[in-house]
Amino acid sequence: MYVSPVREPLISGEKSYSKVTEEIYAPMTGRPGKTWYAGLTLALIALMFGLFSIFVTVWDGIGTWGLNRTIGWGWGITNFVWWVGIGHAGTFISAILLLFRQKWRTSINRSAEAMTIFAVMCAGLFPLIHMGRLPLGFFIFPYPNTRDVWVNFNSPLLWDVFAISTYLTVSLLFWYMGLIPDIGTIRDRLKNGIKKKIYAFLSFGWTGSARHWMRHESMSLILAGLAAPLVLSVHTIVSFDFATSVIPGWHTTIFPPYFVSGAVFSGFAMVLTLMIITRKAINLEDYITKAHLESMNKIIIATGSIVGIAYITELFIAWYSGVIYEQYAFINRAFGPYWWAYWIMMTCNVITPQLFWIKKIRRSFVATFIISIFVNIGMWFERFVIIVTSLHRDFLPSSWSMYSPTWVEVGIYLGTFGLFFTLFFLFIRFFPVIAIAEVKSVLKTSAEKFIKKGK
Amino acid sequence: MKNKTYVSGYFPDDKDLIIAIKELQEKNVDITDVRTPFPVHGLDKVLKMRRSRLPRAGFVAGAIGSIIGFGFQAWVFTEAWPLNFGGKPYLSVPSFVPVTFELTVLFAAFALVFGFLIRSNLGPGADNHIFDEEVTNDRFQILLEAKEGNAESLHESLQSVGALGVQLHEVKS
Amino acid sequence: MYKSFEFTQKLKTFLIVLMVIGAVLTVAGVFLNLDHTHRIWANVLLNGFYFTAIAMGAAFFVVVHILGESGWHTAIQRIPEAMGQYVPYGGVIMFLVLVGMHDIYHWSHTEDLDEVLQGKSAFLNPLFFSIRTVVYIALWTFLVRKIRKLSLASDGSTDLKLFTRSRNWAGIFIVLFAITSSTSAWDWIMSIDAHWYSTLFGWYIFVSSFVSAVAVIIILLFVLRRMGYMDHVNDEHMHDLGKYLFGFSIFWMYLWISQYLLIWYSNIPEETVYFVTRQNDFQFIFWTNVIINFLTPFLILMPRGTKRKMNWLLIAAIIVFVGHWIDMYVSIWPGAVGHAEFGVLEIGMTILVAGIFLFLFFKQFAKAPVVPENHPYFKESFDYDNIR
Repeated sequence: MYVSPVREPLISGEKSYSKVTEEIYAPMTGRPGKTWYAGLTLALIALMFGLFSIFVTVWDGIGTWGLNRTIGWGWGITNFVWWVGIGHAGTFISAILLLFRQKWRTSINRSAEAMTIFAVMCAGLFPLIHMGRLPLGFFIFPYPNTRDVWVNFNSPLLWDVFAISTYLTVSLLFWYMGLIPDIGTIRDRLKNGIKKKIYAFLSFGWTGSARHWMRHESMSLILAGLAAPLVLSVHTIVSFDFATSVIPGWHTTIFPPYFVSGAVFSGFAMVLTLMIITRKAINLEDYITKAHLESMNKIIIATGSIVGIAYITELFIAWYSGVIYEQYAFINRAFGPYWWAYWIMMTCNVITPQLFWIKKIRRSFVATFIISIFVNIGMWFERFVIIVTSLHRDFLPSSWSMYSPTWVEVGIYLGTFGLFFTLFFLFIRFFPVIAIAEVKSVLKTSAEKFIKKGK
Repeated sequence: MKNKTYVSGYFPDDKDLIIAIKELQEKNVDITDVRTPFPVHGLDKVLKMRRSRLPRAGFVAGAIGSIIGFGFQAWVFTEAWPLNFGGKPYLSVPSFVPVTFELTVLFAAFALVFGFLIRSNLGPGADNHIFDEEVTNDRFQILLEAKEGNAESLHESLQSVGALGVQLHEVKS
Repeated sequence: MYKSFEFTQKLKTFLIVLMVIGAVLTVAGVFLNLDHTHRIWANVLLNGFYFTAIAMGAAFFVVVHILGESGWHTAIQRIPEAMGQYVPYGGVIMFLVLVGMHDIYHWSHTEDLDEVLQGKSAFLNPLFFSIRTVVYIALWTFLVRKIRKLSLASDGSTDLKLFTRSRNWAGIFIVLFAITSSTSAWDWIMSIDAHWYSTLFGWYIFVSSFVSAVAVIIILLFVLRRMGYMDHVNDEHMHDLGKYLFGFSIFWMYLWISQYLLIWYSNIPEETVYFVTRQNDFQFIFWTNVIINFLTPFLILMPRGTKRKMNWLLIAAIIVFVGHWIDMYVSIWPGAVGHAEFGVLEIGMTILVAGIFLFLFFKQFAKAPVVPENHPYFKESFDYDNIR
């Protein structure tokens, strides 16, 4: 495969195949550093606090939350949508970018996909907790029962159950299938011992046979082809939770593609936030380079601008529709009691990513890190604005109301951060953070060493 | 059972591997397996491997998934327990689209993954023999199965095409 | 090495004959419908918009590949590039629509508006509408010419600065087109049903035009190969074009169902009226639209093999091309004409405009080498594989 010398190399430094193995394997060997323990402890504390808050919710009931009759969905659903959104980057990177043959994907897909799985787990918690009775969670699944009543297949909330669980399952399968060759590599690096036995078990007996590789590639391609519309469908169905209703600000046809775009936008921001730290912490600077940063930031501009255009489209059509309720919903967003949330959303989501048009900024790790945090915040506020401000002043002025979260809701949110980071810390310790085999497969076409030689 | 004898040799680079395979094929040596640290492009053509039938399995499973998904929802709402939701017809096709789609993808994905694992004899607890632990690192290995004591000649032909570390393996079968 | 395209006299004659046939049929159709001017103008709008949208879709195809740092597309890049140059001519037809505005857009009867339309009159009024139409066409013409000019400049020089500049202009193109593609669709198509509104509409029309542009690229590639050009195009390129046609047909379906499902589900009369008219008075063509634009390309192009065989790909492309013409028909006719009609006028005008489009395409295509040989990623286009 010929690669133009004009292209920027993706992997810097003098790399041979064994060096790639060695350097990506390195963080998994030896004793973990103090920062790792400190991070894990913090994450576990947050997780414990979250579990306590969930306990309080279940023990005392949903009344411990700040919800009221007008605003039935507050932080809980906001966090749900936010986490699901973050869970879109991984599969976008590994599926859609695979279909588009983007080679820079190889260095980040593994960890991004891990983040996807963890984020979707965090997201899935919220609707369950929101039921108030966790053990009754099985009510949402269609199963034969003595009453003969089935679940309501007309309900977008039920579609969500199918979408999220399918997404979690397929992402997990996709991720693990990509992992087995690399687990095989780890297995073969280990000397005898219990650890080797565990990795041997997890590697599913991987040998690296050419036949297996061919099937593996074929499977990955078709899985990618399936996962691509799946990614779109998940946030589409999440958007249906709102858009199938008749509430001004919720019911609008642009929601499905706009939610998907926003999800990829926030997911990429989260991946950037974490990868910028991780690459420094475990010395993977040669593998996650400025070239990767620039490509990811370009996707951030694209998706961020799509989101911006969607905001403006909604605004314009609200005026154009001539529906006074629709118009009021948007005036209320911008100038009502929750004006601050709206303007935080606008600044963080529409304005900050535009800075990436400047080449210097999109190639700077520091700037990207800061902007990615802005985007994370902005996308959280987007969901808050959509959910709370659309609900708090409904058709009956007598039932207008305000909402603020209690410590229990904040606690559960912190708890999901705890869960997410606990899993992430364990992941970087026990699994290769970068897809070793995939990086090797693009080494000759994308590494500095080979490009310079003009091979 | 009798033990099987294999001869293995490796190359440090994928280009050399493909050249060597072609040379071996000219000498009419049957290549049992080639093991590489990553998918080497063009190897499937050189080894004349048939295209995998996994996509077809995925298609069939996906079709089954969509039929089950749609059929089940339609059955529930028209036969099992018709309920009126918001004045929608019992057979409200647009409402069934999301779940049907999800089940299609789910079934197809399962078929692909399990098809891959079963066909390749991989899975939890699978104990395939590893001839060289460096294959998953940076070695491109050719594996030949010896029959009727031709191990010596295989050994020679492997060495003649420039393979490194040529050696014999006895494996319990 | 790459045979330059020559616009032969034979081809010219053929296209002129085609255009004359189209023109004769159009004139006949016009005379048959003199008391039915709605239909005449609806035809002008449909064909004017459809081919302009295809040209812009093709230009978008080029631009998005420049921004995506793609290499493979360089082998066929000159086809969509030349297609894009049709924009100003399609624009002329769109200017004609301004003349027949009163027959298509009932909001243009400013003396007789209900309350809702009065509320919209700041946006939907003949003057502002005309200004916007001129602005879209002028802006798009400028952009497609700029991209083309930079690409042609690379034929004479290997300066990498040209490449950087074309990337910058591609960025500007995409930002401006992202806005104007939506607003133009609201103006020209959505405002026919002046009371109705849908935020998704602009993106829906945009994807429709992108899919039809890919279909036309495939068709033109086939025609050019039949005439003995473009033999450097190999199976991998076909495969990629096939994937685009396949993938974006699915994406189009996704947007279609998103819009339909949300309106159907919420059941707000102001919105459902749009689909009620179409499902009742245009039943056959309404469902044909869905089946032809989704199911056929989906089933034909799903196997790997069909994407790599020119004939299958061509069949799918022709179906999609016709299908999206129908898509436009379903969008325009219920509001502008009121009932489904298809006859000499529709056939004639489509042939006429398609003939003009083809003539201008070949004329433009003959002006430059068939490939941008100095494109920095040009060689990559001939050394890559699709996964088996």
